[in-house]
Amino acid sequence: MRPACRFGLAAGLAALVILLGACAAPGRTPHEEPDVDSRVRQPARADSAGVQVYSLKNKAVVELMEKAKDAEKRGHLNDAAELLERAMRIQPTNPELLQQMAEVQLGRKDFQQALSFSQRSYEIGPRVGEICSRNWRTTSVAREYLGDRKGSGEAERRAGQCMNTKPSSY
Amino acid sequence: MAKRKKKTVRRKAVARKRKVRWIRGIWRLGLLVAGVVFGLLLPWVIYLNHVVTSEFEGRTWDLPSRVYARPLDLYPGLPLSMSNLLLELNAAGYAQASIARTPGSYALRGSAVELFRRPFQFVDGKEGPKRVLIRFKADRVSSIRDADSDRQFDLFRLDPAEIASIYPLHRQDRVLVPLAQTPPLLITGLQAVEDRNFKHHPGVDWRGILRAMVANLKAGQAVQGGSTLTQQLVKNYFLENERTLSRKVNEAIMAILLDWHYDKGDILEAYINEVYLGQQGALAIHGFGRAATFYFGLPLNQLRADQVALLIGMVKGASLYNPRRHPERATRRRNHVLAVMGETGLLDKKQVSDARARPLDVSAKPSSQANRYHAFIDLVRAHLASDYQEDDLKTEGLKIFTTLSPWEQELTQKMVSQGLAALTEHGLPAGLQGAMVLADVSSGEVRAVVGDRYANRDGFNRALDARRQVGSVIKPLVYLLALEHTSDYNLMTMVEDAPLTLRQADGTEWAPANYDNVSHGPVTILEALTRSYNQATVRLGLNIGVSHLLRKLQQFGVETDAQPLPSVILGAIELTPLEVAQIYQSLAAGGYSVPLRSVTAVQTSGGKLLSRYPLRLLPQPRREAIAVLNYALTQVVENGTARRLSALLGSAWTQQRPLIAGKTGTSNDRRDSWFVGYTADRLGVVWVGHDDNSPAGVTGSNAAMRVWARLFKELPLQSLDLRMPDGAHWVWIDASSGKLTGENCNGAVQIPFVVGSEPAASTECLRAMGHGDEESFWKKWFEKNE
Repeated sequence: MRPACRFGLAAGLAALVILLGACAAPGRTPHEEPDVDSRVRQPARADSAGVQVYSLKNKAVVELMEKAKDAEKRGHLNDAAELLERAMRIQPTNPELLQQMAEVQLGRKDFQQALSFSQRSYEIGPRVGEICSRNWRTTSVAREYLGDRKGSGEAERRAGQCMNTKPSSY
Repeated sequence: MAKRKKKTVRRKAVARKRKVRWIRGIWRLGLLVAGVVFGLLLPWVIYLNHVVTSEFEGRTWDLPSRVYARPLDLYPGLPLSMSNLLLELNAAGYAQASIARTPGSYALRGSAVELFRRPFQFVDGKEGPKRVLIRFKADRVSSIRDADSDRQFDLFRLDPAEIASIYPLHRQDRVLVPLAQTPPLLITGLQAVEDRNFKHHPGVDWRGILRAMVANLKAGQAVQGGSTLTQQLVKNYFLENERTLSRKVNEAIMAILLDWHYDKGDILEAYINEVYLGQQGALAIHGFGRAATFYFGLPLNQLRADQVALLIGMVKGASLYNPRRHPERATRRRNHVLAVMGETGLLDKKQVSDARARPLDVSAKPSSQANRYHAFIDLVRAHLASDYQEDDLKTEGLKIFTTLSPWEQELTQKMVSQGLAALTEHGLPAGLQGAMVLADVSSGEVRAVVGDRYANRDGFNRALDARRQVGSVIKPLVYLLALEHTSDYNLMTMVEDAPLTLRQADGTEWAPANYDNVSHGPVTILEALTRSYNQATVRLGLNIGVSHLLRKLQQFGVETDAQPLPSVILGAIELTPLEVAQIYQSLAAGGYSVPLRSVTAVQTSGGKLLSRYPLRLLPQPRREAIAVLNYALTQVVENGTARRLSALLGSAWTQQRPLIAGKTGTSNDRRDSWFVGYTADRLGVVWVGHDDNSPAGVTGSNAAMRVWARLFKELPLQSLDLRMPDGAHWVWIDASSGKLTGENCNGAVQIPFVVGSEPAASTECLRAMGHGDEESFWKKWFEKNE
């Protein structure tokens, strides 16, 4: 192939990649950090008044979760994730812990992992109340940043339903 | 007279001639000496100067990487028996004592353990030394209290066991310690004992040599050495350990050159890290940093005066004064060093007498025992191979934090070994080989690996490298694929367990038979799986498609180049125990796959984080089908091919009746025996067979399951959680007809279904309760409540 042709092909491909990138990211740019407090925790707390489900807490896990919160406040999100992972070795199926990890992942802009942890938290959690609302709001924000606007809206709707108590399917 | 005069003149001339000749001789000798000096010695000195500067200038030590087990988090309620904690402590090199007085020791206090934690720099911060009392109740930790203040701990982290080192080729073990972090008493004490004039001499101490010569002559034997620290360093660093005059001359010249070129601090720092201080098998212990952990299980800066004195004393002869082999001789030497420290004012009288009164306090065995857990370390190396060169692991002194649980690894090794030996009691051949992988279900962290019936043998690692036919262990994936097709299958769907013959690609015919050589006719999918019926499974698998089955394997993280042949449905595919563990981790964790991990983080020798390998969840699609399958696999244990497991578990089963999921596997001609079982938190995979793949007379339940049970009866058994996720639910079914029924109707059993796959027909009993035959009754109910 002649150099001119090669250059033309490369330029065309680059333009196509940029164009596709623009089409595939209708949501927020991943450079902006989502404000986890204002988009997940505060609204979940606000609309969950009266519907609360608390899981049994292990003091060791609580200690690690508190340390993780402090680390998160200081902006040390990797440290927070590490502390939560340590807590998960003690209680791997604590929905609150999984949800806190989802929110830390949201802050780290690892949206796929935020989705995974919030889904897992929802599946093993109470599926009502504040934690349910946080599960779906995290999902909504993560989907939004991943460019799935429809999915994000659907998750927002599910967050609203967390206040309707529903018999467990177990 | 004139004659006499003549004679005198001649004599004078002769004398003058002689004198001239003599001067000429001296002159010639001088020239010869100068020639030798300039011609030979000077170039030699220049050469030695080059050696000294080039080697010392860019001096680096090849530092072995350290491999650590996972740190154990202790907390009230932790399911850990006292005996298992002791296994952990012994594996971590903690020494039992009557009183836990020093870091790295523990003492038994009835049903409690008092232990003195060693300080450790973790990835997320430092934990200092601490003495605690740990109490137990019903095989759980009941409380952890500060042994001094009685304060209760909610969480207490133990320092991790050092489980292996990855050594450089020269087999020297060393921990580098900068001079600034060396205890001052070590620096001054070393000079007081070995080389008092160190600060002032030019590398060689002539007065010291003279003093030593006089002392040795007086004693009639060599009682004192005149070598300076610089000379000792030169001997260790540059020269061979031979006792020749030429070596002594070279040593002196190089010491002078070293002293001329370098700062005393540089020389001292090199000495502290180079000096030979012991031997661990084929490994030479070099430097005070490593010696501190080797003899006391402590970092150098944590040593007391008496411990520093012992190490200084050992410089004279690490073997002669080995405190483990010759404690009395070592004590005398230590006390001599303490006396010198007293004489020179480094310690006051009381400090000296206190230090002399102390026992040696050397740990009974090195905290870093010779490399153990070879099978697990193979996995660590494989894990790191993508990010690190093998050479880096051998020379950069990395700290590698792994997921290994020492007490579980010790138990797994023991139970695999004992379990295989005991199989002969059940008529199986002696000498069967085996492998086992134990992993944490949710995190995918590998807790133990055994690759040989003799776990300490470092050879072929069957857990990672033995590719063997998996037999029925693959069947659950066939049923999972079926359950994902909600319009066609649920656990009550009938399949035909009847003979069938297939023509294969090579033209031969294949007619799979059942293990009992009986065809069972129409059976439910649930029964076909729990009883592991081959003919029913092949029919189902052919409907699903073998290529889908291979894709599912890949989806669960196992790469295979197997051809999509019908025999794959019955496990005619070769996988390693580790790959089987990877497949079942996805099932055991409810469809949240995690790549199995053996390493969590890597640090530099200085503690800087290089890599983290965090937990990453990969949710599988159709997790509701996985949840339904998990129920079916508990039925394999309840009343299927693994129903004898409860008897094998004995009291561990009867006390709690935990829900356990499992699957047996047997390959053609009974060559391979597999058992995979999981509780809420542990997944275990066992393989048993002959290395040469000859028939071994084994089945999944008569060999591998016995080994599995032997281990799991020693582990805390946490019952599986069979709560259904969104998209699946429990439904009351009439056991005989498979129709929908009511909870209070006769023969009602609860079975999980993927939403939309429930049976259409209902019993009369249910209809009498006001529900008719509604194809999507549950679906409508579910949708209404969404």
